Amino acid sequence: MKLKLSRRAKIALMIFVGIYIAVGVVNVTFLSRENMSEAFKNIANRWVVKLPFGKGILNRINPFTLIMTWTIMIVIIVAAAKFRKFRLVPDRKQSAIESLLQYVYEVVEGSIPDERFVRPTFYIACTLFVFVAFSNVLGGAVPGVSLSVNSQGDVEKVILFSDLWFSPTADINTNASLAVFVLIISHAFAIKAKGFKAWLKAWFEPNPIMFPMNVVGELAKPISHSLRLFGNVAGGAMLVYMLSYMVKYLFMPVVLWGFFGLFIGLVQALVFTVLAVAYISAALS
Amino acid sequence: MENVNSVAQALVLMGKYIGAGVCMGIGAIGPGIAEGHVGSKAMEAMARQPEMVGTLTTRMLLSQAVCETTGLYSLLISILILLVV
Repeated sequence: MKLKLSRRAKIALMIFVGIYIAVGVVNVTFLSRENMSEAFKNIANRWVVKLPFGKGILNRINPFTLIMTWTIMIVIIVAAAKFRKFRLVPDRKQSAIESLLQYVYEVVEGSIPDERFVRPTFYIACTLFVFVAFSNVLGGAVPGVSLSVNSQGDVEKVILFSDLWFSPTADINTNASLAVFVLIISHAFAIKAKGFKAWLKAWFEPNPIMFPMNVVGELAKPISHSLRLFGNVAGGAMLVYMLSYMVKYLFMPVVLWGFFGLFIGLVQALVFTVLAVAYISAALS
Repeated sequence: MENVNSVAQALVLMGKYIGAGVCMGIGAIGPGIAEGHVGSKAMEAMARQPEMVGTLTTRMLLSQAVCETTGLYSLLISILILLVV
């Protein structure tokens, strides 16, 4: 394969490689003073703040998740407000958004049996996809602000631009709440579509003995649904941190961010969306 | 490396490391086999119908991501064993 680059692209590429090597050399001299166990000590800890009310696990929150969730929501809302008026002749950004939405719509239309529920499911699926994909890519491919936290949950220092953003989907609470939303929505749609009696009867199919199995099967859905996303994003972030520490941030991060951030992040966002649609359609049929 | 003062603490550490390694190692077998299966069948289908390559690639990636889940459970458990417990 022969690459043909324009003059501008060549100059931009040279500047990028120059900045990359300069930052890498600075990082090698700056980061290599820390030894390895020092650097990996706080890798699995999260910032914890105790609330004045509540008991047990209910009175602890991770404020960084809240901050990142609200930031991402505000960014998405601002972007959506900017693209609110769709023109008849699309430009490049608008056609990219249109093809994304059309892809999700085709997935939803192909799997939802009831015509009345295609559009609501499409809204839910699009919301999930945009939020999860945005936060996965932010937490996997964009260097930014993250925290180093000791084992008691207090912030030791703020890391600026040498690690990735903390993604809200790397916190099990975000994923679990999204998965529980999907579970509740699917059963609400089922009650609305089939009526309460038919919905109640579906728990005792094919035989009343199978009732506990149906309950366990329904409860296992949000658990596997949330843990899949959490494991991918959190494990990917940890692996990127460890491997890029081992090579002192010189060469690996761009490759790793491309794989764990863009590829795995987008595939997992798509899997999360498609599974949500599949759960809703399984409850409807 | 943590400071070890007695034999009991050394045994606990040993159990932690062996457990995490065995958990990740055995847990990676299943997803590996499953993803290989999915990939080989998708390749066969693509060779039979080359015009369906786009659709088949997306479906293959989706089902491989679902197959990966059990491997991720073992990754989570080994991280929990190593770093949290």
